[in-house]
Amino acid sequence: MLEIALLLLIITSIAAIQTRYMRQAVIYLGLFSLAISFVYLLYSAPDVALAEAIIGSTISTILYIVALQKYKIYTIYYKLQSTELDEHATMSLHKQQLIKSLEKFCSKQELETQIIYSTEDIKFIMEQHQYALILEEKENTLVIYAHPENYKFDALKSFLEIEVHPRYHYEFVKVEEDIL
Amino acid sequence: MNDHSQLLNRTMGIIYPFVILFGIYIVLNGHISPGGGFQGGAVLSSVFIAKYLSQPIMFLDLYRIQTIEKYALLSLLILATLFITLNVYQLFVHSLVYYMVLANIIIGLKVACGMTIIFYRFAFYESR
Repeated sequence: MLEIALLLLIITSIAAIQTRYMRQAVIYLGLFSLAISFVYLLYSAPDVALAEAIIGSTISTILYIVALQKYKIYTIYYKLQSTELDEHATMSLHKQQLIKSLEKFCSKQELETQIIYSTEDIKFIMEQHQYALILEEKENTLVIYAHPENYKFDALKSFLEIEVHPRYHYEFVKVEEDIL
Repeated sequence: MNDHSQLLNRTMGIIYPFVILFGIYIVLNGHISPGGGFQGGAVLSSVFIAKYLSQPIMFLDLYRIQTIEKYALLSLLILATLFITLNVYQLFVHSLVYYMVLANIIIGLKVACGMTIIFYRFAFYESR
């Protein structure tokens, strides 16, 4: 029994480090606390086990989750043609790749991604909505509009130049304040 | 937590009294079984913390809770000092048990208040 619990400790701790998403890491940490409180119990220290189970796997898990709630959400608008937004239309492969790499960028920067597909006009989106990035495809170039207060924009530029998508040429546009 | 989950609300409503009972049990039996003031207080404060998950509303007067916590610390110090200086344990047979239960209750109150304050302070006032 003890060996199983000790193995579980190793597995959960490695999983908590290796996972890409913070929420999963928090859950793995809670599992780790539960397992280690069981180990304390088997080493006949029930007092410590009780304290660890309560504080480690309840209170600190909730604290971490609430802290994650205070994160900023990175909102990306993806402008599509109205024919592409049909029910039966499937996303083309290069688009999926692009979105996947954007999500990778966001999880590297510890941001929550929120991708919104819309057919609205770009000016309208800029005026009406809270956004961080707006993507628009024009033939072979992908135009990326960034909000003037978007301080991750330079990091995004260098990230996209490493992750080459053969279909696209990038054009970066930083929206000026007075357009809004 | 912006979405009010019906499932979470109902479940928490059923679970509250049991968690509170468990906390009181841990505090009161601290001197003969595993547990004690600290663990019981943490369980009691986890009631308030779990309430935040189902209904994120500020319903506590943090200042009043802080006052209670300070008085608990003061009374704990007074209790320990009196117990040592007055030789109370010679007065009657079970005085040691009464002393430990009383001290556990005060510690449990203090820990519950302190953890609740820490959590609500963090959840409602601290932000980037």
